[in-house]
Amino acid sequence: MTTPNPAGWEALAAESMDDQDAATLQLLATLYDQIDPVPSDLVERLQFAITLDALNAELAELQQMDALAPSGARGVDADEAKTLTFTSESLTTMVTVTPAGPDRVRIDGWCAPGGGVTVELRQLNASVEVQADEDGRFVFDDVRHGLSRFVVRAARPSSRPPVITPAVEI
Amino acid sequence: MINAEAEPSTLAGRAGDAFSQFRQGQPDAMADLVAMLTPILWHTVRAQRLDATTTEDVLQTTWLSLVKGADKIADPRSVLQWLMVTARREAWRVSRGQSRQTPQELIADDVVSSEESPEALVLRSDTERVLWHHISKLPDRCRELLRVIAFSDRPDYAELAESLGMPVGSIGPTRGRCLAKLRSSLTTDARWEPR
Repeated sequence: MTTPNPAGWEALAAESMDDQDAATLQLLATLYDQIDPVPSDLVERLQFAITLDALNAELAELQQMDALAPSGARGVDADEAKTLTFTSESLTTMVTVTPAGPDRVRIDGWCAPGGGVTVELRQLNASVEVQADEDGRFVFDDVRHGLSRFVVRAARPSSRPPVITPAVEI
Repeated sequence: MINAEAEPSTLAGRAGDAFSQFRQGQPDAMADLVAMLTPILWHTVRAQRLDATTTEDVLQTTWLSLVKGADKIADPRSVLQWLMVTARREAWRVSRGQSRQTPQELIADDVVSSEESPEALVLRSDTERVLWHHISKLPDRCRELLRVIAFSDRPDYAELAESLGMPVGSIGPTRGRCLAKLRSSLTTDARWEPR
């Protein structure tokens, strides 16, 4: 079996796989992970494409981030509030995120035009929905930190598509 | 929901479970499925020599087809196979449009690829460099098969080989010719240390 010839590998091919084969394949996977790694945010982009498609949604953009705390430094400067503004063709959404106890934040938001819209907050494995008042104001008062998106739906069944924001860390 | 693990968990089995949950009305299960299967699908498409941007487009099209056609898949447990076949077909379609290699050229066996590439420079260990050297000498079709199944689990190999258009039974309980070729090539190399 150490002599390589056509008959040699044909005999090898008919044998059962063994642990050495399994180890070789495992090494092969780590090898391809290094040579041609999956782009780090590809999974998130694919998941987002599916969500957008499922909702037939309009995509909002994050306009500004008046973070009083340095971004990413949550926990350290957790007592600072930050304001995010998302805009799309049909809607502007502004949210202010304020610390509300250990690992919790309160989100005060405003949609325009947003009288009576439904706002959904999506986090990993969680989703909460609130209704905006007639001025388009809404509140999520007990929210965990984490990657979050907002989906805003029109008040009545209408032709206006839902609006979805990019995911932001809150 | 907790799955009763009656049989050994394989990638295809876990994918089937997640897909069943999605069809039963749990949208989050689709996100899990994407996270679970992106590595194997990435390598399935990249093995067709598409660039990274095109590969991403192919994967997006593939997933959207799954969401739209979710009801048409008879057996949820075949979802991984379905995705691999769809991704490869889409990769062919796109590469034809870009007048790159035709499927026929990709299928042509016994085409020995270039020797070690600069890509090998990123490899960390001598063992990996030796393996890369021998993998590079395999026919394209064998390299594609081994690259893809390396990201799955052993009980899935036969079905995945079929999805890749390789003859049934070309790998699975038996080693199959691609793995045999690699092993035979490795055993002649004094630098190779089997584990």
